Amino acid sequence: MSVAVMTAEPVPEFRAGGTDFSERRRSGVSQGMLIDISGTGSKAITWDADGSAQIGALTTIATIAADARIAAGYPGLAASAQGLATPQVRQVATLGGNLAQRSRCWYFRRADIDCLKKSGSTCPARSGNHLYGVAFDLGPCVAPHPSTMAAALLAYDATIVTDRRSGLTIAGLLGDGSISHADHALAAGEMIQSIALPAPLEGERASYRRAISRSHAEWPLVELCARVIVADGKFQLVRLAAGGVAPVPLRLTAAEVALHGRIANAASIAEAAKAATSGAKPLPMTAYKLDLLQGLVRDVLERIAD
Amino acid sequence: MTTTTINGRPLVLPDDPDALLIDVIRDGGLTGTKLVCGSGVCGACTVLLDGTPVVSCLLPAQATAGKSLTTIEGVGAAGLHPVQKAFMAHDALQCGFCTSGFVVEATAFHDSWRATKGTATPAREEIAAALSGHLCRCGAYEGIFRAVAEACSGRFDGNDPIAPRLEARDKVTGLACYTVDIHHDGQLEGVILRAHVAHARITGLDLAPARAMAGVAAVVPLLDDDNMIRFVGAPIAAVAASDRRTALKAIAAITFKIEPLPAAIGLDAARRDDAPVVFEKKDRKRAGNVSEGAGGAPVSWKGNVRGPSAPFSHKAKQARHWLDEARAQRNPLLVEETFRVSTQQHASLEPHAAVARFDGDQLTVHISTQAIHESMEKIAKRYGLPHDKVRVIADHVGGGFGSKGSVGLETIAAIELARAAKAPVRVAFDRGEELSVTGYRPAAELKLSLLPSTEGRLKALSLTAHADTGAAVNSLIAGLARLIYPAEAKELVDFDVLSNLPPGAPFRGPGGPPMSFALEQAVDEAALRMKLDPIQLRKRWDPDPNRQRLYDWAAGLDVWKNRKPAGSQQGRYRRGVGVATGYWLYLWQTGSSVELAVKGGRIVASCAVQDIGTGTRSVIANTVAKAFDLEPQDVEVRVGRSNLPRGPGSGGSRVTASVVPPTLLAIDKLKAEIRRTASRTPAPGSNAPWREMIAASPDVSVSARRQEDGKPPPGVRPALHEAGIMGRVFGWVLRLMNHMVVGAGVPSSVQVMEVEVDTWLGHVRVLNAYTGLAIGKLAAPALARSQAAGAVIQGIGYALYEARETDPSSGHILSGSMEDYRIPGIADMPKLDVHFDEAGFEHVPGGSVGIGEVATVPTSPAIANAIRDAIGVRLTEIPFRPDRLVAALKGRDAA
Repeated sequence: MSVAVMTAEPVPEFRAGGTDFSERRRSGVSQGMLIDISGTGSKAITWDADGSAQIGALTTIATIAADARIAAGYPGLAASAQGLATPQVRQVATLGGNLAQRSRCWYFRRADIDCLKKSGSTCPARSGNHLYGVAFDLGPCVAPHPSTMAAALLAYDATIVTDRRSGLTIAGLLGDGSISHADHALAAGEMIQSIALPAPLEGERASYRRAISRSHAEWPLVELCARVIVADGKFQLVRLAAGGVAPVPLRLTAAEVALHGRIANAASIAEAAKAATSGAKPLPMTAYKLDLLQGLVRDVLERIAD
Repeated sequence: MTTTTINGRPLVLPDDPDALLIDVIRDGGLTGTKLVCGSGVCGACTVLLDGTPVVSCLLPAQATAGKSLTTIEGVGAAGLHPVQKAFMAHDALQCGFCTSGFVVEATAFHDSWRATKGTATPAREEIAAALSGHLCRCGAYEGIFRAVAEACSGRFDGNDPIAPRLEARDKVTGLACYTVDIHHDGQLEGVILRAHVAHARITGLDLAPARAMAGVAAVVPLLDDDNMIRFVGAPIAAVAASDRRTALKAIAAITFKIEPLPAAIGLDAARRDDAPVVFEKKDRKRAGNVSEGAGGAPVSWKGNVRGPSAPFSHKAKQARHWLDEARAQRNPLLVEETFRVSTQQHASLEPHAAVARFDGDQLTVHISTQAIHESMEKIAKRYGLPHDKVRVIADHVGGGFGSKGSVGLETIAAIELARAAKAPVRVAFDRGEELSVTGYRPAAELKLSLLPSTEGRLKALSLTAHADTGAAVNSLIAGLARLIYPAEAKELVDFDVLSNLPPGAPFRGPGGPPMSFALEQAVDEAALRMKLDPIQLRKRWDPDPNRQRLYDWAAGLDVWKNRKPAGSQQGRYRRGVGVATGYWLYLWQTGSSVELAVKGGRIVASCAVQDIGTGTRSVIANTVAKAFDLEPQDVEVRVGRSNLPRGPGSGGSRVTASVVPPTLLAIDKLKAEIRRTASRTPAPGSNAPWREMIAASPDVSVSARRQEDGKPPPGVRPALHEAGIMGRVFGWVLRLMNHMVVGAGVPSSVQVMEVEVDTWLGHVRVLNAYTGLAIGKLAAPALARSQAAGAVIQGIGYALYEARETDPSSGHILSGSMEDYRIPGIADMPKLDVHFDEAGFEHVPGGSVGIGEVATVPTSPAIANAIRDAIGVRLTEIPFRPDRLVAALKGRDAA
């Protein structure tokens, strides 16, 4: 996947693994200069003494999916990596590229249709066909953010190091959903270099699941990465990060609050599922995503609270 | 200069950073690697990069610098890999266009499995996950599961197997040559300029700027002579240039003025009173055709609505009266519902493609086509050429499903560009074109009323279909309900609703699956209300002898006998079992001819028919081999060339029943000829007298034309006879206009599906599929099974996943890529039980009829009925996606 910044004056785009990028080149959606960064950055996962990890931006998704230490310390991240795209794409797509990939919106991906992300003045999906659009309508563009890894990293309080700054949160990287012209909040030419993960907490568990129509290999309608600590039968920590529902990955804070300190059982989880949709603003065609979100909260939490 | 190693040989990589690996591989002559989706979804282009499977359609060529690549040609270079042998033995392929990618991926899986797990057999789920980056449109998944599992368990470490499919070896090694793989010296690449607006008049078309560009050899206009654009993607002009990129630049240089007109997009917009009209009266002949046959009687046409067309109604007024009466009386047995089916794209993995070449006045066209002989005739007619000056070739065709039955724009553009450029030209559609402008099964709205009598018979049926045909006409959905379940009265009305969308086209059993989707759910609902077993009700209402036997088979299935009471489940996951029935016409093509010869001591069978993955080569070889006590591999079968004896088109499931009977006649003639010309008789007591006689025979040749069928037994009638005099008229028209005969006996299918519904995530999974088929004797049993399995998985796609998405105002097709148009993957394939009932067609010489269409007709309603059984709610609109499931469970309308 590629790091991409598109404005009215196309600035050069970075190409890492080249999966998303190559598709947009073939379709003509991307036409400017390209800078291949595949040989220039870190592809390694490094560990600090306290158990925290740094993942180089050029580390492939397959590497993350197969890494035993990642699976042990950050199981939600590993499961997210295992669940996205196809085996062949995971072999070359990178973590940095996954974070900086472009929208999957039908309209954006057609070279012959203007949209906000292609210097147009309106969002044709909002008034047109937005079946796979957002259910939390937070900004002018109605496409959900496509990065599965971003949602997982949000659940893990990860931070981003770029060639200009460090300590950038996922919200800092991707914005609050109000950006209309891009899929992230990086400056022109700014490059993701690595991702820092805080050390895993004692006793934490995690899970990931996406709702799709087929069995495999489909962009999520809704996806959820959940991290919890259950001690003495009660939820001590709850992190719920949802993808597919908003222009940026979304922390489900109302659901988190609803569970904190509560006994981990089907009843509390059902309540949290209801709270998960608080603040939602579905489009005419996307109310179903709220039902799926509730179903996912129940599915994921019941599996890890067991 | 950077280099890579490909199949052990060094290769210099282009400097262009945008160059993609797939182009470098294919331009270098290794055409086993196929370009299909261009977006990393389907896996057809998969190669090994340092032993790891990657998609070459997205991989920058420079990313392979200093690394080692293996393509399909490299996989089997030192003898077939066990995976290749297993694919051959298990018939894990049909058209073969996805096969290279599957084989490459599966060899990597196999090798790493064997290295760590020895000869343990991988679970179905492990195989499915490993192959989840691959798609097969024919639906060869069942064979692929078996092949990979058995290769891993070591069953294919030994000798090369005998494949049930004659050309299997070429397909698993990447050597099979498709139209897109043709490369002549000096060949140019053709690209089509298409409209970006749905409705407009074009003026001032200026091709000169494109003609002036370096590398451009020809530019031809393709606009219709009324200069109108009626859908996004309508052709305007075509360019042939030295390469695709130059051609794309050249079409962008063509200038014209657009006078935009208001557009009507889709079924609902187009039938409003104030909707813009797509075809004015004088232009109606320009509309496309969504059916396999020619149009019947004249039909009224007002605005965008063409119809009513109701030739197959029977006492329509009486039906209306009874239904009105039942409605007024609130008769609880009256079933009334509006069903909706979505647009289904053919999504053949090989795109529409043609390569045209003139050698003096001889025109040779390679076409990815379902009708080589007819294409030759039509091209000859269009360009005023004698038949012997036009040669159409299709050695292998990467899927068609109905979309490649006529001479398409790719062929016309390739011919006209080749003529203008005086050089060979290839035109191959990209995936966006393939998934928008090459035809589709029209969506439809189906209003149905069904009334059982107080005695439990079928009294009245009314079905009105409005088909979303785009810029085309001739949908027949409701009318097909006449040929099953006789009733006292039926009102069956079809409408075409034209709009500014691309024209629909025939698709595997045109009209059949939509009709069955509505009718079979209504019959199911009637059974529920009558508190009868749905199979027993069908047995009562449907006298067809073939289906009577299939109903008995279905009723005896454990899954049917052990099903839970309907709507009795409450948990998150709920299972249900549903049944549905389907039929198709038994068709054969008059004039179909087969030549049999002995050449150099070997039998050669020839017919101008094409093998689109359906197995025609094998059907002919098996028939001949059996008669001479040979192995099918001993018979050379020549197909795919229009200058061979006239063969049928691959449509209407007519090939097997058209070619087997004349092959049998030719066999008798050839036997006589071999005996007559033999210089000596075989040694007494020889084990293989025919083998010896053929080996010793001088070259001889005979041919035969398709004979009429024998007299069917009493009660076995052509399906059209159900429709009385109008059915007979329809049959005559088909024979006269389309050279197709509707024979006696009805190819039939009864399917039972078991589904599991995840009520939290709106997910439906088909766990087990049981398909019973009455299609006569199996001319090639393993291949018939592959067809049956493929038909089921394609029906599952129709029921659960596939939907074309459009922009409601601009008319752009939004689902123009393989990730947005969702066909089933290997993990979506249920466990399958196929039951063939081989009786019923003894009056057909050879006893075999076609399978392709009937086998997919009942799948979607069987799934719908199973979902109803599981959750107690009847869903009336396909595909049954998660959004519709969760909405139905909450009783809310889906988007």
